[in-house]
Amino acid sequence: MSVAPHDFGDFPRSAAAARFEAWRRAFYRFSGSRLSVIGLGICVFLVLVAIFGESFVPYPQHVTGGIAPRARFLPPSATHWFGTNELGQDVFTLVVAGSRVSLLCGFAVVFAAAVVGTVLGGIAGYYGGWTDDLIMRLTDLKLTIPGLILAMAIAAALGPGIVNMIIAVSLSWWPGFARLVRGEVLSKKEELFVLAARALGASHARLIWRHIVPNVLGAIVIKMSLDMGFAILTVAALGFIGIGVKPPTPEWGSLLAIARGYMPEFWWTAVFPGLAIFLAVFGFNLLGDGLRDVLDPKARR
Amino acid sequence: MLPFVIRRFLLLIPVFIGLSMLVFVIGRLLPGDPVQLAAGPHATREEIAALAAEFGLDQPLPVQYLAYAKGLAIGDWGRSIQSRQPVIDDLKTFMPATLELVIAAMIVAILIGIPTGLLAAVYRDRWPDTLSRAVSLGAISIPRFFLGLLLQLALAMWLGLLPLGGRLPITAEPPPFLTGFLLIDTLVARDFSTFFLALQHMAMPAVALSLSPLATIMRMMRASTLEVLSQDYVLTARALGLSQRLTIFKYVLKNALSASLTVIGLYFGWLLGGTVLVETVFDWPGIGLYATRAITTQDFMPVMGVTLCIGLIFVAVNLLVDLAYGLVNPKVRLS
Repeated sequence: MSVAPHDFGDFPRSAAAARFEAWRRAFYRFSGSRLSVIGLGICVFLVLVAIFGESFVPYPQHVTGGIAPRARFLPPSATHWFGTNELGQDVFTLVVAGSRVSLLCGFAVVFAAAVVGTVLGGIAGYYGGWTDDLIMRLTDLKLTIPGLILAMAIAAALGPGIVNMIIAVSLSWWPGFARLVRGEVLSKKEELFVLAARALGASHARLIWRHIVPNVLGAIVIKMSLDMGFAILTVAALGFIGIGVKPPTPEWGSLLAIARGYMPEFWWTAVFPGLAIFLAVFGFNLLGDGLRDVLDPKARR
Repeated sequence: MLPFVIRRFLLLIPVFIGLSMLVFVIGRLLPGDPVQLAAGPHATREEIAALAAEFGLDQPLPVQYLAYAKGLAIGDWGRSIQSRQPVIDDLKTFMPATLELVIAAMIVAILIGIPTGLLAAVYRDRWPDTLSRAVSLGAISIPRFFLGLLLQLALAMWLGLLPLGGRLPITAEPPPFLTGFLLIDTLVARDFSTFFLALQHMAMPAVALSLSPLATIMRMMRASTLEVLSQDYVLTARALGLSQRLTIFKYVLKNALSASLTVIGLYFGWLLGGTVLVETVFDWPGIGLYATRAITTQDFMPVMGVTLCIGLIFVAVNLLVDLAYGLVNPKVRLS
């Protein structure tokens, strides 16, 4: 009786097939976790709402600051699903419109921090020596200062506005990426395939771009997805404190801050924007957690 | 052990210098003209110049930094340009409130996070594990300020069980200042009714603050327990017929705990900065509220003072954690 040569039977024939196989397995593992799939569902839903939601809101005039003084503080009903606020604006409309600001800001923060952190961490890890020392000491220092207070100070310094707020938060966000990328580059730099490429006379630029960066990208993407939820949370927190996105631009944190003054009678003005923040952060955290389980073999247990 | 301790302490000096420089730069980033703001809209040019001279703001920046650093060394952390109070006095007033809140939150987080994390690891991939994953992700995801508002809405406004905010009611007589921790000071003064009032006021902010460290400690504890469970000595213990209870409590728990120590140390520092939101919601008179006020009035000495103070506590806590590590694990001492 012969045993089927199973180990050789599904051996991928080409690089493309191998990659496809790896993705198929990753997808299989990912979809095996119910929480991860729920997270993916929430994120897809939120992204769709952020892109298309504004075209379908019942009161588009409220997005740009229009008010309806006669409809102040109406409780949730069939015409106003989430009720209306102190200006008579439809809370459902504002929450839907706010998704675009929150998601865009969250993504912008994470992306900017990833770019800065990757460049600095990459330089530190690749060149080593005193550049490494200098960059890493700066990173350590940044990590001792609480990010939120740093972001508040920088945001206050730059003045109100979405772009300034994004700059402020990402300036306090990059050290995490720098540390991660430095560690990854340090370990990849010594791998055989990099040494081989170097022995063949590859330039620094080629080594970095062709051989090291593609292998570090996975870790960066995982961290970006893990950080996305917290970035949204930080943006909302700054809005809540009153530094950051200002009305009339609808933003979940500042909606919540205004609504605070009208509790407990008009609780719906606070609860729905708060739930929106929670849902977004929860969804991205679930997704990030699931992605890490699938893509990072070290974390899989 | 002693050389290790000394080396760790010497390493603090460059950190202090770097921190003070960074803080100075951040303080200097603040916009507008704080002197103009403090002097008021009707101040004459001479009055503004006099105020600037009084605070040394007419000097070049490196000179200002040196003066600031010299002051830091002798305990003069500058003055608030708004209240004219020395920053160090303000910090002494507001810091204990924040520390008390953070410590209370950490105690809640540790007391709940450690056992549940252990449980999740022991019942891995079964319902306690899934539940703990969902709960911890939920706990990390709910914004502290939103949770605080929900607690206020439910427990204070609707049910009237707990006070809305603050540390004590205005009518209550605060205990004589000893540590600045109300819970300790009232006990020392044997003022039990005030003690319970303080406890009531602290309950909601402490819970709101504790959720995210709780979740992290739970996850960390789960991961480190799983790590320990896969070790050979656990297998040996089981092979020798030790009961599950004995294996877990005598061999696994102790080793799993030491890995969670780092997270607890790190989180302590982060929470000091993270209290801003909770303090805002609950009107808790701590450094978070103080910093927010200073930032919005562009009063940079307090901002620098708070940032520096939190940075120092963060570094100190991490040093303590390192030392505790060195005590537990001889390998750390030698590296």
